[in-house]
Amino acid sequence: MEEFLKQFFDVGFMVDHFDEVLDGFWITTQLAVLSGILALIWGLILATLRQLPGKALMPVRFLTIAYIDVFRGIPLLMLILLIAGGIPALEFLPEWLRLPEWFGKPDSFWFGVLAITITYGAYMAEVYRAGIESVPQGQMEAARSLGMNHGQAMRNVILPQAVRKVIAPLLNDFVALTKDTTLVSFIALNEVTLVASDIQSETFNSSALTLGAIMFLVVTLPLARLVDKLISREQSRFTRGAPRVEAL
Amino acid sequence: MRSTRLTALLAVFLLAIASLAAAGCGSSDDDTTSAGGGGGGGGEPLTVGSDIPYPPFEQGKPGNYTGFDVELLEAVGESIGREVEFEDTSFDTIFLDLARGNFEVVASAATITDEREKTVDFTNPYYISEQAILVKEGGDIDSVEKLAGATVGVQQGTTGQEFVEEEGEAGDLRKYPQGPDAVNALSNGTVDAVVIDIPVAENAEAAGNGLEISAAIPTEEEYGFAVAQGETELLEELNEGLKETIEDGTYAKLYEQWFKHEPPKEIETTTHEAT
Amino acid sequence: MDGPSDGSGVILSLRGVCKRFGDLEVLRGVDLEVKRGEVVCVLGPSGSGKSTLLRCVNLLEPPEEGDIHLEERSICKGPGSGTGEQSWELDFVRQRVGIVFQQFNLFPHKTALENVTMAQEKVLGRPKAEARSKGAQLLERVGLADKLGEYPERLSGGQQQRVAIARALAMDPHVMLFDEVTSALDPELVKEVLDVMRELAEEGMTMIVVTHEIGFARDVADRVVFMDGGVIVEEGPPAQVLENPREERTKQFLGLVLEH
Repeated sequence: MEEFLKQFFDVGFMVDHFDEVLDGFWITTQLAVLSGILALIWGLILATLRQLPGKALMPVRFLTIAYIDVFRGIPLLMLILLIAGGIPALEFLPEWLRLPEWFGKPDSFWFGVLAITITYGAYMAEVYRAGIESVPQGQMEAARSLGMNHGQAMRNVILPQAVRKVIAPLLNDFVALTKDTTLVSFIALNEVTLVASDIQSETFNSSALTLGAIMFLVVTLPLARLVDKLISREQSRFTRGAPRVEAL
Repeated sequence: MRSTRLTALLAVFLLAIASLAAAGCGSSDDDTTSAGGGGGGGGEPLTVGSDIPYPPFEQGKPGNYTGFDVELLEAVGESIGREVEFEDTSFDTIFLDLARGNFEVVASAATITDEREKTVDFTNPYYISEQAILVKEGGDIDSVEKLAGATVGVQQGTTGQEFVEEEGEAGDLRKYPQGPDAVNALSNGTVDAVVIDIPVAENAEAAGNGLEISAAIPTEEEYGFAVAQGETELLEELNEGLKETIEDGTYAKLYEQWFKHEPPKEIETTTHEAT
Repeated sequence: MDGPSDGSGVILSLRGVCKRFGDLEVLRGVDLEVKRGEVVCVLGPSGSGKSTLLRCVNLLEPPEEGDIHLEERSICKGPGSGTGEQSWELDFVRQRVGIVFQQFNLFPHKTALENVTMAQEKVLGRPKAEARSKGAQLLERVGLADKLGEYPERLSGGQQQRVAIARALAMDPHVMLFDEVTSALDPELVKEVLDVMRELAEEGMTMIVVTHEIGFARDVADRVVFMDGGVIVEEGPPAQVLENPREERTKQFLGLVLEH
């Protein structure tokens, strides 16, 4: 037991390597926040495209559905490896696109952002869709009857309601996204997992990994509680007469 | 109608899972079978951890592993009367895993270092190595000094990584989970140079994908097989077996086969005291 | 494509209107004329197609067949052209016809005043100040001057419905459609809504009211229409249809309803 604690919970060790692990976690945070915001926006765009009405726009709907199915069906790690292997190999692209070094972040960072946004955009699109479909039909009817066109009705009436309804599941997806940033270590980005496991292979002590995990908890635990609070608040706010759901 | 279709789909799905499981049971044995039948009857098979692939030391598919480390250890195994079972494992935790008993030996182009000796014990060296700088043909990083400021790829947890961290002053050091990943990153331009064991670099050069060794870094590294600390009996057995293969010419034969030149004389006499 | 120019002020006319939902024929050839300023009450059992009729008029459910003229202009293109929204004069209709729904359908994320101003600003392009002042005026008119900043969830059913009426009126419609607007209300809240509708009628608004409130029909309607099975069975002045119905079906229906 003594051995185990020393191997995984060596506090002195954690203190010594704190700055290093924190630097890695800072990269993780930037990756998560940036990809998360982009995915939230991209998901909303996809969801809107998916339900544009009218025969003429069927190809758009079809392509959007295909996109969502494909990128919810491919594992994120594979996509990361494919993007990091594939894009630099596209000779015809200009250098600054092939090996992006924007804002001082290495290409592995940007490939990570791309892969995560592509994938989580697809997941979030489905969440938005559930939200849109849960807005009562009468809302669209009222908006259209007042003379609003489809776009105006969506922007002013449907989407504001839909988004409010799905904030909780969107946040859950965001938490999942935050943890999935660790997959970008596979293309040598110095995010927290790579840094911590590196320390482990040099020193043969695993406490840095434990420290990294704790840093994640510092972020994900409050988010989880926030989600609970949001769920119970939104339940009562906009649903006339609907029963309160007990927050677990 | 809907429910029978659903039931049918469910049945197909379960059947698929069941057949995958059955297939999995069949082949999981293969993962750890002795690669190519390493002789010697009696005794339990010797379990070996190795980060595969790392050509030309270890490569191939489960059930069919080959490479210098693999065949040498098989020869050693034969002379001590034990069959050998290789297990693919990731390099950055390989010594910890050995210490924990996941397997009995590590044969993975592993350099003997003081740091590692704190956790495991090494046999006498079975290979003397250098690092190499691998670049794209015509690339201009041809010395350690020129690594400064460049984007350099290494395999995580290797002495190549250590070297670059200490001497290289790379602008951006990329640590990849596996050796071949670093080489791929070089091919597609993500990194400017790769620092990696010479034989691996030679292998990459020979593959004809436009990569070449621009410089050798004589780091005077020695590879050894590793065992968990305190396994003195096993250690002695392995050292004995190693000596035999050198004496009866098997070592030289394998060396020439995999590295295309004669083994250095020192190999016959270098020893290593377990600390 | 103008309809017959009618000196007597026909504002809305329907000819041979048919509507199908899949295999179900809901409207089987409806002919109806509504004059400017007329209040027409539509009665009938459920499934008779009365709601669908209203929703055809404002093109929420474009008809499969038939002709509809609004202010002497055709708003649909005749048989077999119900293929998509593009074939209809949506804007023309929606800016002249207002509708109030049984389920209110107020926008829950907006205050009462915002509900009334939103379409004014977005559709008609009225400046904010103008929209707000008109909105406040209308809400006052329906008796909700003190509820401008309230969200729908805090209003009673009757109050919400009155906001809905104000919201429709804010667009200055020429025709107002009421789709069983009191059916979802508690009985004690029905009167306040009917009173607003009564006032509206007195001010000369053209109204088509689908309702179960026979009393209202008797007092306010210029004409009562009885529908059953997707057609108009009988129509005429309230005194005639309600007291002395000609058709057997009308008698049956009224018999059932008036029994309460």
